Amino acid sequence: MSGAAVRNGGSVRSMVRSPFVLMVGAVLTWFIAAFLVWPNLNVLIATFFPDGSFSGRAAEKLFSSQRAMKSLGNSFLLALALSITVNVVGIFIVLVTHYFKIRGSRILFLGYATTFIYGGIVLAAGYKFIYGDKGIVTSLLLTVFPGMDPAWFSGFFAVLVVMTFATTTNHMLFVGNALKGVDYQTIEAARNLGASTWTILRRVVLPMLKPTLFAVTILSFLTGLGALSAPQVLGGREFQTITPMILTFANSPTSRDLAALLAVILGVSTILMLAVMSRFEKRGTYYSLSKVSSALQKQQISSPVANAAVHTVAYLLFALYTLPVVLIVLYSFADGAAIQTGQISPGSLTLDNYVRVLTQESGLRPFVISVVYSALATVIAVGGLLLVARLLQKYRNWVASVFEYLLHIPWILPSALLALGLIISYDHPNPLVGGAVLTGTTVILLIAFVTVKIPFTLRMLKASFASVNSSMEEAAAIMGAKTLYVFRRILLPIVLPAAAAIAALNFNSMLDDYDTAIFLAHPLVQPLGLVIKANTDGAEGVEGVANTFVYTVLLMVITGLTMYLVYGRSSRRRAGRKNSAAGASPDPATSPALVAAGTEPAAPVR
Amino acid sequence: MRKLQTLVAAAVAVILLAGCGGGAASPAASGDASTAPPAGSGETLVVYTNSNGEGRGEWLTAKAAEAGFKIEVVGAGGADATNKLIAEKNNPIADVAFGLNNMYFAQIKAEGALEPYDPAWAGEVDTALGDSGDGKAYWPLVKQAILLGYNSDKITADAAPQDWTDLWTKEEFKDRYERVTGLGTATAQLVFAGILTRYKDESGDLGVSDEGWKQVEQYFQNGSPAVAKTDLFARIAAGEVDLGQMPSSIIAEREKSFKVNVETVAPSVGVPLAVEQVALVKGTDKKEQAQKFIDWFGSADVQGAFAQQFNSMPVNKTAATKANPEVVEFFADVKQQDIDWDFVQENMGAWVEKIELEYMT
Amino acid sequence: MIRLDNIEVSFGDFTAIPHLDLHVKPGEFFTLLGPSGCGKTTALRTLAGFIEPSRGAVHVDGKNVTRLPSDKRQVGMVFQNYALFPSMSVWENIAFGLRVRKEKSAESDRLVRDIARRVELSDEQLHKNVAELSGGQQQRVAVARALVLRPKILLLDEPLSNLDAKLRHQLRQQLKDLQSEFGITTVYVTHDQDEALAMSDRVAVFNKGVIEQVGTPQEIYDQAATEFVCNFIGDSSPLTSEFVAELNRLSGAGLSPGANSYLRVEKASLTPPLDGGRAVGLPGTVASRTYHGLHSRYVVRSHGTDVRLLVLEDGNVQPEVGAETTLYVQPGHVLQYHPGTGAALAKQDQAVALP
Repeated sequence: MSGAAVRNGGSVRSMVRSPFVLMVGAVLTWFIAAFLVWPNLNVLIATFFPDGSFSGRAAEKLFSSQRAMKSLGNSFLLALALSITVNVVGIFIVLVTHYFKIRGSRILFLGYATTFIYGGIVLAAGYKFIYGDKGIVTSLLLTVFPGMDPAWFSGFFAVLVVMTFATTTNHMLFVGNALKGVDYQTIEAARNLGASTWTILRRVVLPMLKPTLFAVTILSFLTGLGALSAPQVLGGREFQTITPMILTFANSPTSRDLAALLAVILGVSTILMLAVMSRFEKRGTYYSLSKVSSALQKQQISSPVANAAVHTVAYLLFALYTLPVVLIVLYSFADGAAIQTGQISPGSLTLDNYVRVLTQESGLRPFVISVVYSALATVIAVGGLLLVARLLQKYRNWVASVFEYLLHIPWILPSALLALGLIISYDHPNPLVGGAVLTGTTVILLIAFVTVKIPFTLRMLKASFASVNSSMEEAAAIMGAKTLYVFRRILLPIVLPAAAAIAALNFNSMLDDYDTAIFLAHPLVQPLGLVIKANTDGAEGVEGVANTFVYTVLLMVITGLTMYLVYGRSSRRRAGRKNSAAGASPDPATSPALVAAGTEPAAPVR
Repeated sequence: MRKLQTLVAAAVAVILLAGCGGGAASPAASGDASTAPPAGSGETLVVYTNSNGEGRGEWLTAKAAEAGFKIEVVGAGGADATNKLIAEKNNPIADVAFGLNNMYFAQIKAEGALEPYDPAWAGEVDTALGDSGDGKAYWPLVKQAILLGYNSDKITADAAPQDWTDLWTKEEFKDRYERVTGLGTATAQLVFAGILTRYKDESGDLGVSDEGWKQVEQYFQNGSPAVAKTDLFARIAAGEVDLGQMPSSIIAEREKSFKVNVETVAPSVGVPLAVEQVALVKGTDKKEQAQKFIDWFGSADVQGAFAQQFNSMPVNKTAATKANPEVVEFFADVKQQDIDWDFVQENMGAWVEKIELEYMT
Repeated sequence: MIRLDNIEVSFGDFTAIPHLDLHVKPGEFFTLLGPSGCGKTTALRTLAGFIEPSRGAVHVDGKNVTRLPSDKRQVGMVFQNYALFPSMSVWENIAFGLRVRKEKSAESDRLVRDIARRVELSDEQLHKNVAELSGGQQQRVAVARALVLRPKILLLDEPLSNLDAKLRHQLRQQLKDLQSEFGITTVYVTHDQDEALAMSDRVAVFNKGVIEQVGTPQEIYDQAATEFVCNFIGDSSPLTSEFVAELNRLSGAGLSPGANSYLRVEKASLTPPLDGGRAVGLPGTVASRTYHGLHSRYVVRSHGTDVRLLVLEDGNVQPEVGAETTLYVQPGHVLQYHPGTGAALAKQDQAVALP
């Protein structure tokens, strides 16, 4: 088994010869068939072939609707604009924190990194609290310019601004690390040839970051395309996008075909973007050419004027980034009425909200449920896919490719549609799951959570396996280690840091999920997202809104903690063994895996 | 191997999660949440409702406990609760559902998710307000008027609009009323039912004349869109808008919370009346217990107490005597709009879709 | 000890090795030498069991191992980048194979310490993380890890290529010493001819998946069997047919003027050989001279040929650029190859210089 598996780069023949591969393949086939293909096929058939024959009703309705067409256009406009603005801001903050000598860059980094710990509706709401028509900044501006429009912060501009800031997370994560991998000698060489700071940046440094920049650009594009909460909160009537429409129509049984059609449109765009990206990926990543690359040293900006300007912009951005967080923390101490009217006085700040949430069992419960669900889904997705990713990376043949494409299905369809598919397929006894009815159980939401996280997890894990030197495995095989033993003892320890980072990102992104939970959650085991949504809708009364802020702050604490555990600690460990000459261990923070494979459309503000 | 282990571990963990989750709430409910259909080990009833806000859920749970019922109230919006009941029809979690109006319950009944049952208090309510079909499955509990309210500190009764249509035909109300940005809530759907039903026209699009659709168009063009996360009363308090839709039962409490005074409009055609219903869920294995609960909940005593606590208007004639006199008076005066519910229910899905696609700019 | 019979290896449509026969004797230090992409590593990996040949057989110690997985072939391997497991300590790395074999832990420890001592790794180093070791120490760990299982064959896949020149020289010696101490049959892959010549008992020169020549270092240097080997190993000047004809005329040697002819740089001289021997003198002009300290490299133009040669800087006065000089060449040193096949031409009876 051990030997056969290693030989000749994985033909289909060698694949079917291994009983281990066959077993994993069987389980995988079942999972894909039962939870990825069948449910979604069901939705599409039910919507486009309602009576067994094709119905063009949805297309007809959509294309004759001005609003739908305009929303679709807006979604693409947002996607395009976001691809540009995110790069501008993202590259700037990465350079300020990693490349240039800026005073207080450590503090700046923490400020820019706040988008790691919160997102979605909470982030959009946070910005609205500050810049909205009753916001603090707006009030200030009104005293200076009494004539200005209090609702200045709405529409396309506001959505773009908020989403730009929210999406730079990817730059911080991927571009920042790619920059760390740039060989400093190339910069020194360029300076020696007489290049200015600007020329070095433009002609030497940025081109080396190109593959990563391309990947995050696509991420930004997809995030813009699927934008949900920011347009909802800040878009106003003149800037609506497509995803809120999908959710609306998915909720109405008579209009589901519209939701499905819109989802298919988004899905096709996503596929196109991914295809473009894999082409680009194949053209290769730039790896350091030299065997003795030296660590990047921060660059002084020589022109005092430019230096002052960069400092100013950097700290201005810092304020923009941190203000919402500060206010959310502040509001979490205020009472419901103060939050709703946007007027806060020092006297209205108490610990009451925290006492209420943390001591009442009904307040804490959704929190615990979300943490348990996210943790379970993360462990299953990462744990299960570790093996799958490994096999897909090892066997490169058509069978493996088919599996890989199928596993990307959740990326193509919005999670609301995936959830609907699960309901339609499993609200009656189904032989695919042993004749059980899954609706109304706690398992169905877990399945959805795992499913939704598969594409991202798979891509990341596969890349981190790819970055492990293959001779490591051969060395173990030649000493008689079996496939599983090699996996457990050699590969797993090497990819574990990357896997932990992926797990942390997954865990954080699922904590406040709403789209899937609304369809699938067990009514007695409701996760936090539902409670937050109920609170923001006002159905739970004004107290609920205050609870939301407490939940948000608690979520920030948890996500902040997971990020620290994974990234903070690993970066300290890395510092301890700089001279590493042996094996390229894919550290989560430096791993080309995480850099090259960074492609998650389900980004923060979706 | 590993994959299997993971799956087994996950399954164990899910059961643990379900167990501890259910157990934390009420130890007897732990069986309900496992992958198997509810084992019925405990006698805890699961109650779905869209009417649990403002302390209603907690009040009901406490009162039910006094009466010897262990219940677990699960809150969800009207449309969501409806979708859930339908999705779970082959493996029901809920034993009882209440609070949804006729429109929703008719839909659920059509999907075969309700069990016909005649409660003990069937004689005390006006059956015309409940299930009009064969095998009565849902029964009326509370009347709710869907009203157009205005800030009475700013607008005098004389200057106030006389009907919804005044909002967009009279210059002074343009951009001063809040208009919805979605039609997911029962209240919003009823507002449109009340408007569109006036323009019923067999030859019109979806049974509504062009004039009717023009009203919808005007409504959306001239209103101030609702703001996500911001209550209408908060916007009234802030002076952003002065008018908007509201269900009758929330007015008193919100007036207090946001320190505003609100009066309501009484159009000559009447106001849409939503009647919140209660029903037994089909397939429950605690049928007997659930029936007892419905008998208890709909009784004059409980409905009376509920009405006193939450300013609601009970359908139960005996309970009505215990309700807040102001409320009784209001409902005595209020004219119920004559709405063809069959027509509305048949077309609501398509109406919502058309409005979403064509008018909600 | 090792026999590769009629081996063919292909990857999909691409045939990496069309036909390979090879025989390695017990205890031998055998080197596969060739430029990158010539198939030498493929041959090694076929031997190790990482690649399954599409045809042919691999025998180790008389036993057919063609279908055996690598761990059943009793081969140890040192990888180009050593492939040490970064998640384990030095001790754990060396003990890895023993633990896979479920060796008792006391016995494992004894074996690990024993092999570590023989490759000169200290006890303290055993408990370090592999990343903390220098390149030379890492190599010793890799060798120890391969040898602790007492394989019949040790395979080395360019283990020195990632190191800087000085360390490479030092480790080359260390490897050779280790090999002779253990007396283990070793197959070594390299593209560095210097390494191959200095370390090997025998060398196989690869080109495009085919072995061009197998022989002792001296044989492949002095009697390069093919034009490729002649060019790949050492440094030589191509000779024009006019030059060869002149050489024939002066010496009466039967060199073929139509063949591709070469002369090693160290075989031409500006001074007549001391024994008078069979060298003939040809007039030429010094075209260039590069000073290297120990010697100078000259290019002397004669009969249309730029003959490169080395002159020892022994303190004597040497000719400057442009000077007329005499080039001394022994016709027997001229290497001749068939212009079509590249095969060496059989040496004619070599006549002495005409008086």
